[in-house]
Amino acid sequence: MTSISVNGVPHEAPDPGRNLLSYLRYDLGLTGTKYGCGDGVCGACTVLVDGQAQRSCQATVGTVLGGSITTIEGLAPEGALHPVQEAFVEESAMQCGYCIPGFIMAAAGFLGREPRPTSAQVRQALAENMCRCGTYTRIQRAVERAAGKLSEQSE
Amino acid sequence: MSDASEGDREGLEIVGPVVVGMPAARGGYATTAYGNTQPQGEGARWLLVRPDGSATAYAGKVEYGQGVRSGFAMEVADELRLRLTEVEVVLGDTDEVPWDMGTFGSQSTGIVGLQLRKAAATARQALLELAAERLDLPTSELLCRDGHVMSQSDPNKSLSYGDLVTGKRLRREIAEEPALTPAEAFTIMGAPAQRVDAVERVTGRAKYAQDILIPGMLFAKLVRPPSFAARLTEVDASAAERMPGVVQVVRDGDLVAVLAMTDEQAERAAGTVLARCEEQPEQPSHLDMPDRLLSSQHDATTVQAIGSLEAGFGQADGVLEEVYYLPYVANAPMEPRAAVAEWKDGRLTVWAGTQRPFGLRTELAQHFGIAETDVRVIAPEIGGGFGAKSYFPAGLEAARLAKAAGRPVRVAYTRAEDTAWGSFRPAALIAIKSGFKADGSIVAWEFRAYHAGDRAMIGRRGSDTPYDTPNVTVTVSSSDSPLRAGSYRSLGGAANHFARESHIDEIANAVGMDPVELRLRNLTHPRLRRVLELAAERFGWAGARPPSNRGVGVAIGVDVGSYAAMCVQADVQGTEVKVGRVVAALDCGLTVNPEGARNQVEGSVIMGMGTALYEAIEFRGGAVLNPGFVRYRVPRITDAPAIDVVLAGDAGEPSTGAGEPGIVPVAAAIANAVFDQTGRRVRELPLQRHLR
Repeated sequence: MTSISVNGVPHEAPDPGRNLLSYLRYDLGLTGTKYGCGDGVCGACTVLVDGQAQRSCQATVGTVLGGSITTIEGLAPEGALHPVQEAFVEESAMQCGYCIPGFIMAAAGFLGREPRPTSAQVRQALAENMCRCGTYTRIQRAVERAAGKLSEQSE
Repeated sequence: MSDASEGDREGLEIVGPVVVGMPAARGGYATTAYGNTQPQGEGARWLLVRPDGSATAYAGKVEYGQGVRSGFAMEVADELRLRLTEVEVVLGDTDEVPWDMGTFGSQSTGIVGLQLRKAAATARQALLELAAERLDLPTSELLCRDGHVMSQSDPNKSLSYGDLVTGKRLRREIAEEPALTPAEAFTIMGAPAQRVDAVERVTGRAKYAQDILIPGMLFAKLVRPPSFAARLTEVDASAAERMPGVVQVVRDGDLVAVLAMTDEQAERAAGTVLARCEEQPEQPSHLDMPDRLLSSQHDATTVQAIGSLEAGFGQADGVLEEVYYLPYVANAPMEPRAAVAEWKDGRLTVWAGTQRPFGLRTELAQHFGIAETDVRVIAPEIGGGFGAKSYFPAGLEAARLAKAAGRPVRVAYTRAEDTAWGSFRPAALIAIKSGFKADGSIVAWEFRAYHAGDRAMIGRRGSDTPYDTPNVTVTVSSSDSPLRAGSYRSLGGAANHFARESHIDEIANAVGMDPVELRLRNLTHPRLRRVLELAAERFGWAGARPPSNRGVGVAIGVDVGSYAAMCVQADVQGTEVKVGRVVAALDCGLTVNPEGARNQVEGSVIMGMGTALYEAIEFRGGAVLNPGFVRYRVPRITDAPAIDVVLAGDAGEPSTGAGEPGIVPVAAAIANAVFDQTGRRVRELPLQRHLR
């Protein structure tokens, strides 16, 4: 495998040693994925790799070759919002907003495998993402609201 | 229209003087404190009613999480009788917006927002006059509604704002006393609203300084000395110059940087630069700070002096004397500082996530010896700051490197650089001696604070007591600061409140009285009493002498003219403190966006909880030992308590700010709750470290 798919678009054989976050942001211009710490502990750089939330700052392009990557720009079709995005708007779950794409991707990945989570499960799933503005209670409400939307959709 | 002069753009422009600082009543800032120059020129454009009937508001503030764009849009839309979606707000671009001293001190809504309201009210009057002429009706027969001017008796006689301004270039001065909409007639202000910029934030479209990428841009990596005080004496970059992707290694005085085609190429090459430094021996560590704050104190200033301490202590039944200490903490916003600079046709443009775009413009113009009009600073969305991004060296660094390279250059700090080479809330030591009667009335209050750093305004903020004590001396001193002392939410307010509100509880304990009751006994200020009573009531505060083993704590606070009170429930297990529930009451006068104010108070609780329980910067030998999140714990979602915010502001009172006052009572309320549960009084932050 020498290609990766980013938001459904195939890209050929980029440098396998390239840091995945830098590749997405600076080579592809997908700046919705953020640099926050570079240590894999703040979650601002979270993307989905084959549906699983992953810290892009801790990965190289080589480790995800053949994989399908979704960034915040590709979570919903152009002009539409994913239920998690909608819920963050509805709950005003943001201040500066810099961490929010990472939270949304982490939540989307989590709800993909746990569609009916408890509050404690939501907290645990987002424990590795940081919001320095402290909008945690809103983020919690938004993810629980999104879970409700998603389970309605699937019924 | 009689006094219409020609505007720059099609539509109706409203121009007026820039607004500076806070009213003296709110402990106003001197504009020179941050190195700002006074504004140039008069007649800045504040508002434009466009031919399509929409309006654009211009303000020198920046959006770094406080929701100011939404607040301004609400204020303008309400005054101009437009929908929120019909108002665009342009912020932080020095070519486009009125001069502004910077975004700090919770002044956006109350001061700049008020100016925008006046501009919008002036525009409304101008539109009425334009319509009166066209419809041949007196203005008293007309009203503005939904973007139209219409006859009060015959709604068919109506003209849209767009109709009225199309093809014209009208300009009006902001009226001296325009007819502002009274609070009871608000339709947008005062009602909770979603953020106007929310969709950009959840889709990743919002552009922060870290996200600015322009054609031809090089990535820079600065070569930094190993400690703050070290001076680079010799640099050998021969290996770096041969590394792949490296375009140039710049040595411009103390600024050494590798410029490369990608971020990683610059970083790898910078790691190979051999730098010899002259070190400064004997640099202090964080452990030396309490002693150094006292031994290096200078410039003691008296903030409050009432009655006679001697007389006060003479009539006291009891006297307490205690010392409180707070370490340096990091603002640590999620977005590390970043800037992109471009020189084009002799003009410099810098995109920088600074809280002071005009201050940076001045700094750049002075450094390069060019006119301020040849410099444009654009502050895009800013990923947090909490005060720290008033200090923004990345802007000048990027501009110097771009000049050396003849190409646009991006400087983006790593997390560790942003912490170590940024600014900190300074360490503080506060000594309090109080005298009180057996009934809990405080009769003497001596408060001596020593805050690191030379900016006296930091330490003074919130040092005065709001209680009724008849004999008071409050003095605040500066002390030498080994780290850069910078702005942090509420400046020294949170530190001073931690000491004062902890000590008030110690008095409650000494006289065996419930802490809420003791506060009320010493407090006549009506707004402060009211927030305390509201918070206690919502919390379900049941009076008891501490320690009651229930883990409840209370504290009050005054900041930027707003009043706050907080009750918390905490649970202590060993050295781990879990804050379970917080009730916070805030009176910030007219609350333009209650949803925004709530959000700010919730964030203040979380941030204050971090400083109360976990956060402390450690340093030794001129280097920060814990500059990243791996060794600097900040609150996570698993630490977050349930937070209930009670907004108590009167819409008839001026807006005084909601971004900062919420943080001032937090640390003391938690420390008081820890005492209430365990009987252990911890006077040093962070609490968890000192519960060992």
